[in-house]
Amino acid sequence: MNFRTFTQRIQRMAIALSLVLVATSVLAAPATYRLHVDGLACPFCAYGIEKKLNAIEGVELLETNIKEGTVIVTMKDGAALDKATAKKAVKEAGFTLNGFERVAPGDGQRDGAHKQ
Amino acid sequence: MTMIKGHTVLKILGSIVISVVVLAAAGCIAFAPSAKEPGYEFVKAWGEKGSGPGQFSDPTGIAVANGEVFVADSRNGRIQVFDLDGNFKRQFGRPGKDPGELGRPMNLTVHDGELYVPEYFNDRIQVFGPDGTSKRIIGSSGSGPGQFSAPGGVAVGQNGKLYVADFYGQRVQELKPDGAFIRQWGTTGRTSHEVGSFYYPTDVALDHKGNIYMADGYGNRIQVFDAHGNFLRKWGGPLARGIWGPFNGWFKTVTSIAFGPEGNLFAADFYNDRVQKFTPDGTFLTSFGRKGVGPGQFDHTIAVAIAQDGTVFVADFLNNRIQKWWPKR
Repeated sequence: MNFRTFTQRIQRMAIALSLVLVATSVLAAPATYRLHVDGLACPFCAYGIEKKLNAIEGVELLETNIKEGTVIVTMKDGAALDKATAKKAVKEAGFTLNGFERVAPGDGQRDGAHKQ
Repeated sequence: MTMIKGHTVLKILGSIVISVVVLAAAGCIAFAPSAKEPGYEFVKAWGEKGSGPGQFSDPTGIAVANGEVFVADSRNGRIQVFDLDGNFKRQFGRPGKDPGELGRPMNLTVHDGELYVPEYFNDRIQVFGPDGTSKRIIGSSGSGPGQFSAPGGVAVGQNGKLYVADFYGQRVQELKPDGAFIRQWGTTGRTSHEVGSFYYPTDVALDHKGNIYMADGYGNRIQVFDAHGNFLRKWGGPLARGIWGPFNGWFKTVTSIAFGPEGNLFAADFYNDRVQKFTPDGTFLTSFGRKGVGPGQFDHTIAVAIAQDGTVFVADFLNNRIQKWWPKR
């Protein structure tokens, strides 16, 4: 093995290690989801959705963006939210779930979002 | 021959479409009365988004009594009190479930010097003294008699009886002063546009005769019953059957109602960014407000209260401020 080959191997190992560390940190972060719901402008509706989502076991934090019609749901460590559960909660609040996606932690926190 | 027939069919179809449009327009005009009063003029506004004194995060309810304006600063979990010029005086409450704490306070009512606060998250009515002391709590979570599922508004009769708009309960409950159930309008948990039923009721108000006015929020109408529970009348759009619209006398989600000193009813017309004023029999008198962020403009009118001199205070929801209006003279 010459010096150049040795250096390339070290570089590859370093990249692989970095990827593992990044993946581990993402997996260890609390699961976060973005829900899209129309008609959130009225607090009678937005509060209803917050109330129903808060009742789901494992929900840690909700951030409602009334103007964008989105709710960011952050779960407690180790907890997850499935689409069917989210859909049921939104339906019980009198609305239809128009979108459900898992997002990176911190994503979706934009101007106008309300934490609770 | 085929071409002539096709042309004729198109002409007939065109005539039908035009007729339908003309009839619809005529119908809207017939159901949209003109103003009968000079209207109101903007005086001032106060507040901005925040959590400090005089700032708001979702002002969702308002009441005026004894020269003070009470505001349900909902997402901040507190009540803020101002003088009639908007100067901050005091505040009480914080987010939570314990006595003295608030879970999304909604439409407010003052009766005999006490402030009645429906709590959307805590499913209860909490009664405060004017200094912010929590005096008693009425109701609990549930769909049983005397229980609530997101109460949005409350009215109190001269005899102390309570009338509560139970938003997800799809009913208005009449309760004794201690919260004991007397009766209800609407079928628990079931939406309907029939008389005496609701599509997410938001608020209740009483006139001087004890008649009960109920804001049928997403039913886009107001229903009125006498003190014995008998249906009197309803209004809001064609036949008051839930059709929303921007015309005079129509609603696009009515979120708050309150009586003025002359006995006329004011309604916060949320998605139309305005306040409408009616006689007790539902005759449209006037309206004010339009969408915007400037002086006299609203980003969703959610709650209304009227002082003894006729001054109107409006919670301007998404602008996070309170507006003050006077009748034009």
